[in-house]
Amino acid sequence: MSTRTKLILIAILGLVSLVLAYPKEDTLLHKIGFKHSHLQVREGLDLQGGAHLVYQADLSKIASGDRASAMSSLVNVITNRVNSLGTSETTVQQAGSSQVIVEIPGVSDATQAQALIGKTAQLSFVEVDATTNQVTDTGITGSDVKSATADFDPTSGQPIVSLQLKSGDATKRFGDLTTQINQNQNLRLATYLDQDLIFGPATVSSPITNGQAQLSGNFDVKTAKQIAQLINAGALPVPISLVEQQTVGPTLGAESVRHSLVAGIIGLGVVALFMLIYYRLAGVVAVTALIIYTALTLTIYKLSAFTPYTIVLTLAGIAGFILSIGMAVDANILIFERMKEELRDGKSFVSAVEAGFDRAWSSIRDSNISTLITCFILYTFSSSIPIIRGFAVTLGLGVVISLFTAVVVSRTLLRGVIMTKLGRNPKWYGLNLPGEDA
Amino acid sequence: MNLIGKRKIWYTISLVAIVPGLISLVLFGLKLGIDFTGGSIMEVQGSASATDITAMASKLGFQDITITNEANGRSLVRYRDPAPTSEIEGHHQEFKADLAPLGLSEVSFETVGPSVSHSITRNAILAIAVASFAIVCYIAFAFRNAPPPVSPLSFGVTAIIALLHDAFFVIGVFSILGHFAGVEVDSLFVTAVLTVIGFSVHDTIVVFDRIRENLRRQRGEFEDVVNNSILETLARSINTSLTVLLTLLALFLFGGESIHYFVLALLVGIASGTYSSIFNASPLLVTWHNYKLKHPKKKA
Repeated sequence: MSTRTKLILIAILGLVSLVLAYPKEDTLLHKIGFKHSHLQVREGLDLQGGAHLVYQADLSKIASGDRASAMSSLVNVITNRVNSLGTSETTVQQAGSSQVIVEIPGVSDATQAQALIGKTAQLSFVEVDATTNQVTDTGITGSDVKSATADFDPTSGQPIVSLQLKSGDATKRFGDLTTQINQNQNLRLATYLDQDLIFGPATVSSPITNGQAQLSGNFDVKTAKQIAQLINAGALPVPISLVEQQTVGPTLGAESVRHSLVAGIIGLGVVALFMLIYYRLAGVVAVTALIIYTALTLTIYKLSAFTPYTIVLTLAGIAGFILSIGMAVDANILIFERMKEELRDGKSFVSAVEAGFDRAWSSIRDSNISTLITCFILYTFSSSIPIIRGFAVTLGLGVVISLFTAVVVSRTLLRGVIMTKLGRNPKWYGLNLPGEDA
Repeated sequence: MNLIGKRKIWYTISLVAIVPGLISLVLFGLKLGIDFTGGSIMEVQGSASATDITAMASKLGFQDITITNEANGRSLVRYRDPAPTSEIEGHHQEFKADLAPLGLSEVSFETVGPSVSHSITRNAILAIAVASFAIVCYIAFAFRNAPPPVSPLSFGVTAIIALLHDAFFVIGVFSILGHFAGVEVDSLFVTAVLTVIGFSVHDTIVVFDRIRENLRRQRGEFEDVVNNSILETLARSINTSLTVLLTLLALFLFGGESIHYFVLALLVGIASGTYSSIFNASPLLVTWHNYKLKHPKKKA
């Protein structure tokens, strides 16, 4: 491929990534006739506000062979419960062998979610003997219920929870139970959710054989809804407890984004200024490469949302990204210093550029690999520490992209620059060579 | 300029910089944050007297209560709730409600249970150990074809000494800050130390790479070859560090409260990393080389 073709390709890449990286790229694209949904960098909880909750499951009563399946059904139940809140972008995932991480954006939902997640929510129907107060378990539980809905009693207007039992065996057993209670004057029906009595004890006026039951306790609409949600999501297979939580208010998150943005722009500006003053024309090349680097990185952040490996930007992640800007410049500096040396040795511009890249490559490669090793290890050891993981991902990705921009973009741009007469003047590189350039 | 000839001065500077931190580390240790000890931190907006807040917290049975004021009109309330894990969230909600009449609202909240903090500490130590080991292996591998008189191992070992220099400098500084300014270390601090390690090696490798190249091309004393290599890469070392330090300085000054000390750790460590790669790692290669000349291996 000729240098000219490469320059054109780089210009296209730079332009496309600049457009995609632009915060309101949808309106920009709309103007030139493209319609698409808005792309966004996915922000972590520390930036958009929200709750990070870690639950420890108590697996001591589960046989070791059944633990894996107990954990996966635990994750399912928690997912169902959290989803019933209607919060978008909630993630529930297993961490290690016995922990579950729940991440909920938006703090107001978080408090509500916590109340919902922690409950075991075992629904149980019991038979109470009114004369002896003896309680007998009936064996009918939440797993016999097909669906539950919060409703209003048509006559009293009181909030109630309507249950539809599973057809077949469950409905038949419930029918038998209600028939038995109906026929025996001393028996009452009661319903518990965990240790809380939510219905009864009450008499049964007629046997219920269609599987439709109504729980009318003294609860308000909110409680009725919560009970229905809990029953629908199912009971937790094992007890859990909250062992770690991190809640960030939305104002703090927005503040962090603003601060990081300012810091990033100032950092980038100062670095660009330094490069321009010290390396002159080569500095222009470095700054162009740096702009393409930044745009490309942001574009990859945005596009990663379409893959299973969505990059979630956290505060530490931004720090990693800004740090990677510094490292991206390093490759350019290595190359330019080498190039200047070759020029001082009296080489022509063309061979100085090529030698500069060839000689600097082993340093660039070896030093960046050691940073990648660090990132990889950070990533591996941080499965339950999202801040560290975010940092490792952005820094590692930054190193890889910066290798590309230094080796492909800077090199091609330099080759293009030295094609012009202006580009072959040593003074434009901050060099004072005896004699004029050939 | 003869940098290698003055290597004893450079070693002395390093010792002077590191020893106070090490003494502090031995005497006071590090002030460990809740990531390692377990406990809760509530960040609140608004002003109220520390005694009032402490009274509210004590009422709920919280222990180890400390209140620190931040620059932006917020305070950090740290406490440890000895209640069983199932009750901690309830107490948190109660505490939040108790603070509302004092005009305090919660900005962020973090709590770490003891079991979690143990695994974080273990992972942190493991990560640093594994990272160091992996880097030595990588350097020994990358420099396996190094021409005589240096061995691949001496490159690896001196790089690790420079790396430990930087890691201990940062840890020492934070031990001093912890004792005198109450600065705590958290899992972000571990990240910072690991990044410093990565950067330190990154920097050292660039100089080593030049030494390797010059050993193939130049004749002369080993000392001179090393000295030339340092001088030839000096502009690059300083410029690169300058750009990284400038970006970090921007983050430190404008990047917001929550990553303040994280960025400070990076700043201190990367400054140290630049120093050690110029003034420690390569001179140590010479010291190692001279030692071997004076003490040739006795055949068994």
